[in-house]
Amino acid sequence: MTISFTVNGIPQEVDDSRAEDRLIDYLHDDLNLTGTKFCCGIGVCRACTVTVSKPPNPVPSPVISCSTVLATIDGSAVSTIESVAQDGMLDPVQQAFLGHFAFQCGYCTPGFVMAARLFLDQLAVNPVPADQLEDAIHDAIGAHICRCTGYVRYYQALRPLAEAVLARGEVVE
Amino acid sequence: MTSDPSQIPSSDAPLISRRTVLTGMLGTVAVSVIGLPSMARVNEQGQVGRAASPVPGIANQRIDGLAKVTGQKVYARDFHARDMEGWPDQQWHGLYLRALTTQQAFMGLDLSSLPDAAQPRRVILGDQLSEGLRAPRLRFNRDLAIDLELAERDRAQRTGPTFDRPDAVVFDLIVQPGNAPNFLGQAVALLVFDNTASFRAALRAMQFQDDKFQRYAPLDRSDPAPEPGQAFFPETTYVKFEDEFNYAFADPDTYLERVPEYRAKIAAFLSEHPEFHRRSFTSQMQAMDPMFMEPETGLVWQDTATGTMNLVLGTQSPDHDIDNILSMYDTPDAPFPLSGINLTSCYPGGGFGGRDSSPFSLMLALAGAFSEGNPIRLAYDRFEQFRVGLKRHAADLSGEVVVAPDMAIQLIQMDLTFDGGGRKNLSPYVASLAALCAGGSYTVPFADIHSEAIHTENISGGSQRGFGGPQAFFAIETALDEIALEQEWDPFELRRKNLLTPGDATVVGGPVAQELRLAEMLDIAEAHPAWADRDQIKADYARRGLTYGTGMAMSLQAYGTSGDGMVAAILIEPDGFLTVQSAAVDMGNGSATTLGVVIGDILGANATQVDMGGYTLWGQTGLTNDDPEGVRWDNPDWTAKSVGSSSACLTGLHQVHTVQQTAHGLMAGAILPAARQIWGLGSLASSEVQWLNSLLVYRPGGKPPLSWPQIAAFVHDNGLPRGALGHAYFQDTWSEADFPTGSGTIRLQLDGLSLYQGEAETPVRIIRQNTIGPDAESKRFARYVWAPCVNVVGVTVDQTTGRVQTETVLSVLNAGRVHVPQLVSGQSQGGVAMAISYTLLEDMPPGLAGPADGRWNLNRYHVARAGDVPLGTRFDIANRSQELIVLPESPGDGRAGRGIAEAVMCSVPPAISNALRDAIGVRYNDLPITPAAILKGLSQ
Repeated sequence: MTISFTVNGIPQEVDDSRAEDRLIDYLHDDLNLTGTKFCCGIGVCRACTVTVSKPPNPVPSPVISCSTVLATIDGSAVSTIESVAQDGMLDPVQQAFLGHFAFQCGYCTPGFVMAARLFLDQLAVNPVPADQLEDAIHDAIGAHICRCTGYVRYYQALRPLAEAVLARGEVVE
Repeated sequence: MTSDPSQIPSSDAPLISRRTVLTGMLGTVAVSVIGLPSMARVNEQGQVGRAASPVPGIANQRIDGLAKVTGQKVYARDFHARDMEGWPDQQWHGLYLRALTTQQAFMGLDLSSLPDAAQPRRVILGDQLSEGLRAPRLRFNRDLAIDLELAERDRAQRTGPTFDRPDAVVFDLIVQPGNAPNFLGQAVALLVFDNTASFRAALRAMQFQDDKFQRYAPLDRSDPAPEPGQAFFPETTYVKFEDEFNYAFADPDTYLERVPEYRAKIAAFLSEHPEFHRRSFTSQMQAMDPMFMEPETGLVWQDTATGTMNLVLGTQSPDHDIDNILSMYDTPDAPFPLSGINLTSCYPGGGFGGRDSSPFSLMLALAGAFSEGNPIRLAYDRFEQFRVGLKRHAADLSGEVVVAPDMAIQLIQMDLTFDGGGRKNLSPYVASLAALCAGGSYTVPFADIHSEAIHTENISGGSQRGFGGPQAFFAIETALDEIALEQEWDPFELRRKNLLTPGDATVVGGPVAQELRLAEMLDIAEAHPAWADRDQIKADYARRGLTYGTGMAMSLQAYGTSGDGMVAAILIEPDGFLTVQSAAVDMGNGSATTLGVVIGDILGANATQVDMGGYTLWGQTGLTNDDPEGVRWDNPDWTAKSVGSSSACLTGLHQVHTVQQTAHGLMAGAILPAARQIWGLGSLASSEVQWLNSLLVYRPGGKPPLSWPQIAAFVHDNGLPRGALGHAYFQDTWSEADFPTGSGTIRLQLDGLSLYQGEAETPVRIIRQNTIGPDAESKRFARYVWAPCVNVVGVTVDQTTGRVQTETVLSVLNAGRVHVPQLVSGQSQGGVAMAISYTLLEDMPPGLAGPADGRWNLNRYHVARAGDVPLGTRFDIANRSQELIVLPESPGDGRAGRGIAEAVMCSVPPAISNALRDAIGVRYNDLPITPAAILKGLSQ
């Protein structure tokens, strides 16, 4: 028996003897994808956030890879920070975080990027009234821990992107 | 030289290798610092630090930002042996087991209940270590004045109690069976695993049940170890009696003997003035975990074939770490003769002081001796990081502030005791700076301050953001607030009456020479609606059923130490790009970004690459700290200090100055001579050229402007100087000297300047002339430069739950020249968040009730999240906000920045306590102020 899933679109098959292995360890050890960061290891800080979509629900959701075992992602599509920039071009979220000096040490940044990217995608599909946008942003990234920046600049970077999504009624590309 | 910031550059950057040679007892050891491994082995993304901001002098993004935002390998945690060029792919793992008690003797392990799949390849106990590995002689140099005392003590060979080994207060790295551990969390064994599966299996099997595997027995201690409660040497005593007596100017040999006499004189003076208001205070703070996001991780491979130790580390103190690792292996009984160290210096995933002289590097180097020639990885998880990582010290502070009826502070008396925990580390240095901070921002005629760090069984304290300032400023600023309330004085007026100004002396006795602008800052804060409208705001909240209060506090955080050496290099790459190299480390504070752009005005372009952690640069300067004849600056080879550990607060002034002066040296020694030859001129002075749009222009005209690629090509093709290496020293003033160069003699505030010639790796030193440097005496002033901040904080209190919410923070900051505005405000915002967290959230009891039990993580230790901090950046009565007002630069700043990384944070905690006093009438003297503490205060 094997566990099958994809990581950034590439099929993976592992023996089910590894069912209890953590997703973050698989990413690091087997795939050498270390952009997903280990911090607390118990799913509190969200530095290790990746996105996972699992049929029949095609909508991806944020997943804490340090607390997710391989058994639970059988049949899923996993996306990590390494998949966000496309064809050598940064995603607007990455560009906004850079331009706003949103991070310092940067260790929490991949988690923020993944959560923010997912938030914008979902906001385009399910927009919220403008007066609820701040709460929606907070729901998306408010639980992530950053020790350096005091969060201000992450919010400053993400807010205009979210406003643009609402204004255009489409996904930011 | 411009680039599309959204375009990820391809990487063909070479590894950076810088070498130096250190001499130990057993011979010389070559030390190299290597850049991060080529990404070619791991992925195809770009190289760290190759993202020049296009406008000279302006940073449009962090120079390390692209790598970090795309998840590239930049942290030590990201690397495995397979990523390292030339290393064997086979990687082993190390796991230290930690002491559970200090009251019993550790007798050994029993791993029989561990499943076969989780059994280690090797088990190393303390009695299997050589003397050098078990208890290496370590050095924790941080402060010249203190280091001098230590050296004098060494020379006098006053051994004292066995505990007090001045420069080597270390307990065994691994407890020897039969001995009681000296502190909780001390290693009792090293387990070595030759594969990842068994390592992970062991982690799962052993987590939270250490007692199943460790054996202890009642203690029969025939050779008594140091008992908790003893102070680490040295202690700090600042007694000041007007202009007559103080630490700075007293005879060092008799100062402490005369202290009792002056304490008596102070007491006599006070007894003559019954009209003085005397306010005593006590304040207790728990320890705080820096909680940097990346748990400490490293790789080591001891290549016994070549005698080389290869390290991958993210450290704030490569200098200390290398020195101390050398001391482990520079012994006759070392496991192999060490001839070289290669350090791959990674970006730390946060630091805040917690990676400054951390014991982690020693534990990593130790593990390398037992992996049978294979690379071995040591990677703490968060539980272990909480269990053994350096902490901000818990502290007990008590004392008295005496004020005359005219509001003039007469005396600050304070006793400060810092819980140093198990290892000495930098604790006495922290305690010493706290003693200075105890004097606050004020000029006082009398002071009596004693500060010490004591050994306990707790987790070791060390360098942490603020370095003793947060504790001391909390005590003095809450005490002043209480005095103002008792005397019905305006808290601004009380402070304004006593402000330090240039020409005044600190409690140490050293003069304040730097412009402070404290009164101006108070004026701004006082007039701001966050303070001026506080009664109206309070009433508005009350109408909404909320309890609101406003508090203010100020701090005068010193930056730097009593003497700081810095080194930097600037290289002209063949393609015309510039590379800056620095011994400093960027923990995320933005040093690399700043150092990359501050050369823009001087060299017409920003650096495209900035290499940090260049520990070996010092070795290339050709300078020495040895001064056997006592001639100091008259010896052109001498400087007072090489380099120190990296502190974020050293960037704004110290590191920037060094890079900029080196840039001037490069201009004079390399660029002008090259331009002169290209233009065919007989001579060329700096006044005859200027940079326009990154082109070097000949002012008199008639010569074509030169681009950087043209200059670089000429330099490299003709073997001209292609780079400069500068060393600077600051101690109240900068050392300065004349340096003869290819375009004439230039006077720089450097004490060392060398030029890289042709392909030679080691630069050629220019022998300095007419050197002027700080005198020896001024290092007893302790500190010379300051980053003042005034904070006004507004809080609401839920009197039912005890929850406190920070609604408003106003910070008025004197940052001097602001090099990168986004980094300054970012440091402020991070400081506000950390201060709120320290004050209200981070609750870490000592002993086994705290993280020493190995069960603590972020589910129990709460740090501020976005909801805990105000996110608005302009004051707004209707919304939570934190507004930063940075004083406009003044001529008094001399175009220099200030180290502000700690400044904003230091006065937020007392301002919160003062706001709570205003809100609910309760004085909270202790930290943290948890909801339980709020409710307890309300009930009383």
